[in-house]
Amino acid sequence: MNELAERLLARARALGAEEAEVYLSRGSEFTVKVFQGRVESLVSADSRGLGLRTFRERRVGFAYTSELEPAALDALVEEAIGNGRYNHAEEANVLPDPEPIEPLQGVYVPELLTYDPERKVDFALALERVATSLDPRVTRVSDAVYSDGAGRVELANSRGVDAAFERTVAYGVIDAIAEQDGEMQSGFAFTYGRDLEALDGVAAAREAVDNATGLLGARRAKTARVPVVLHPHAAAMLLGVIGSSFSGDAVLKRRSLLAGKVGQVVASTHVAIVDDARLPTGLASRPFDGEGVRARRVELITDGVLRGYLQNTYTARRSGERSTGSAVRTYKSVPEVGVTNLMLQPGGERREALLARVSNGLHVEQLHGLNTVNPVSGEFSFGVTGHWIRDGALAEPVREMTVAGNLISLLRSIVGLADDLRFLFAGGFCGSPSVLIEELPIGGD
Amino acid sequence: MDLLDPSLADSVIRRALRSGADFAELFVERKRNQSVSVEESQVQRVNSGNDRGAGLRIIHGGVVSYIYTEDLSEDGLLKTADVAASVGRRGGGSFALSEIAGMPHKPQAVEVDPQTVDAEAKIELLLEADQAARAAGGEIRQVAVGYGESRQEILVVTSEGIRHQDARTRVRLMVHAVAERNGEIQTAMEAPGAQRGFEFFDDTSPADYARMAAERALMLLTAAPSPAGTMPVVVGNEFGGVLFHEACGHGLEADFVSKGSTVFAGKIGQQVASPIVTAIDDGTLPARWGTLAVDDEGVPTRRNVLIQDGVLVSYMFDRLRAGQLAHPATGNGRRQSYQHLPIPRMTNTFIAPGAHSVEGIIAATPRGLYARKLGAGQVDVITGDFVFAVTEGYLIEGGRIGRPVRGATIVGNGPRALHKIDMVGNDLKLAPGTCGKEGQGVPVSVGQPTIRISELLVGGTGVVPAGAMRP
Repeated sequence: MNELAERLLARARALGAEEAEVYLSRGSEFTVKVFQGRVESLVSADSRGLGLRTFRERRVGFAYTSELEPAALDALVEEAIGNGRYNHAEEANVLPDPEPIEPLQGVYVPELLTYDPERKVDFALALERVATSLDPRVTRVSDAVYSDGAGRVELANSRGVDAAFERTVAYGVIDAIAEQDGEMQSGFAFTYGRDLEALDGVAAAREAVDNATGLLGARRAKTARVPVVLHPHAAAMLLGVIGSSFSGDAVLKRRSLLAGKVGQVVASTHVAIVDDARLPTGLASRPFDGEGVRARRVELITDGVLRGYLQNTYTARRSGERSTGSAVRTYKSVPEVGVTNLMLQPGGERREALLARVSNGLHVEQLHGLNTVNPVSGEFSFGVTGHWIRDGALAEPVREMTVAGNLISLLRSIVGLADDLRFLFAGGFCGSPSVLIEELPIGGD
Repeated sequence: MDLLDPSLADSVIRRALRSGADFAELFVERKRNQSVSVEESQVQRVNSGNDRGAGLRIIHGGVVSYIYTEDLSEDGLLKTADVAASVGRRGGGSFALSEIAGMPHKPQAVEVDPQTVDAEAKIELLLEADQAARAAGGEIRQVAVGYGESRQEILVVTSEGIRHQDARTRVRLMVHAVAERNGEIQTAMEAPGAQRGFEFFDDTSPADYARMAAERALMLLTAAPSPAGTMPVVVGNEFGGVLFHEACGHGLEADFVSKGSTVFAGKIGQQVASPIVTAIDDGTLPARWGTLAVDDEGVPTRRNVLIQDGVLVSYMFDRLRAGQLAHPATGNGRRQSYQHLPIPRMTNTFIAPGAHSVEGIIAATPRGLYARKLGAGQVDVITGDFVFAVTEGYLIEGGRIGRPVRGATIVGNGPRALHKIDMVGNDLKLAPGTCGKEGQGVPVSVGQPTIRISELLVGGTGVVPAGAMRP
């Protein structure tokens, strides 16, 4: 156990807390942004902070600090216990016991920290250079960024949990601008991995350029009810919204669409959704959760049937379940319930074959206004950008249209899934293939 | 009390300049916050936190390098300066940074420091709000109320000899009510706040706001699905200003302008909005959520007219972009914390009041949507395309407010919508919000009087009656 944690746990006990938990996080960041062949800015830092939870007569107290000097830490214990005095006591306010944690291979690449920063700068410069060399309509980018980070989490509690893990991540982001006849469209793409070596900047630049140029000349189409194909990124964003309904806390507080539906059919039989905290390629992977509980793969929907919810120690105890290792947090917050790598399982069809099933429909590439979904009723009305589908292939680009419906009926009307699984950050690290939806109302002219 | 010993700050600046950089700036921040939440009529959480750190920015030949740390000891800061001098890159470009002119304003006055108020008093206000919301009707199923306070102190020291500081104390209330009837669920929220001390609650009643949220959630139970289609839209005052903020305001931030990635680039002096539209960003308004004595680069804030009678007058600048575009700094250089580089951001941004009463605007609209309150939204800064949820909406029929509608979104393009504003009301109000950009959240106000946009696409699940709902 680290010395800080030892000191804090001892002091918490001395001041009357029966139990306590220390969450310490340290990290380093390196980010470089380039513009027009030059470095625009560079950020480099080592950072740290610490959160303390105390338990006294089943009341939880919490406080955090970025000051780690002895006086600040001593004050922190008093502050956490003081805060806890006001909170209501509950039988479910407990800390988890230690359990064996299997380490997770492949999430930490220490070489990342040894590279010459020039290599990282060159990567960002190349991103911009490639993006502006592929198409005459793309002469500039609004963002070309390389960023990486290494983080270490140390968790210790008074019941004997004492665990740590390290993780690295690197990514490149490119936002290309296409121009034609006074019209501007932007196209975004990114590449990610555990290490600089894992990134594919050329593919990202190409994708950003394709996204931007593909939307030039986009217009509003007519109002219609048609089949809709969601691009994997659009589908993953939507999955991120649905993800909050798997939270055992949302279920307890009746803020979940899926409350009371375990064992019921909530989606079409094609649909399988899992949250896999141990996915080797998942950027949210971790060996244990924000309370030190072993992280695992949780099946949420199988063959369209809801199997269960995600739980942390508190929600599990309140709902008579077991923790699924789904406590998410930073040092600035208490453990909440959340997804890690949330995945809509791909189907067996090629993407082209999925599109070929649509003679007249909409291919949605961007969904706007995801934060406008009513998470309780599931009603949504998004702005959409994408392409019309004619005779099984993408045709003219469309923009400034709406698509409306309900998340549950949407899950039920999924009639096809392709094999092109892709991930992005959407609340958690969310992945989906291309999804075919039987029919949705599209608003336009 | 000084955030940092002046002689230490000077040594850090000197050390950072050792590699020959043109400019160095130390930003020191200390922030304390507390939050209280009540759910299920019980105190759920009293949490508090303490953030302290510093960021060192050096500019060398036009290239910006930034190093931040939580270690404010002499050793820690001098080490940070050494890292800055070694990691910092030398650019070949020319370097111009706008000057800091004028004296800082006084920090916003605080009568009762919220940190000195016992948590019990805060809990009491929340329990009152909880009870008021529940008393609004038996169909109120859940109420969640929260209180948040923060005090942020900042110090900016630069190699030009500038040493400016500010202290920003904010308090805010949040009320969320859920109503249910026959399995149908509707929600509503209110979140008033100000840059004031605890005296804010002398004239702001949490119970009143709770009642308003609960009554709106109940009202929405009677709402029919919104029709979809193109129609005139009357956008309500106060938080309705989020539409201008998102769909136009960001496009007037000088970082987008200097990269040419906004439709407003190169349009100073041109008609960009209907002649009845004047828009302002003002960081000096007393007690407002986005008010600053100096921005996070030490520049005193100002009242900046962005659009005057439809003509584009000014963008919003930080020091770097102001230097690049040979413009005075406007006091819009802001950052979420010491962990972030300053970038151009809005402060309190609003459309100026016009001639019409709300009643007059409604009466002049035969058919359309009255979007009285807007909720969350999203915008593509480059194109200005936007989507917003309408959280309180009504049909306008025969020049009168008709039945409430739910699930509506409005979809359009900011720059085009600016030209389609054909009525501006006289009921300007501002509302607090948190604006996100490049992963940095900063407190801002949005605002406007009631306005009418002659034509906008409304998304919803309801059926559009043939021939109806068109202007």
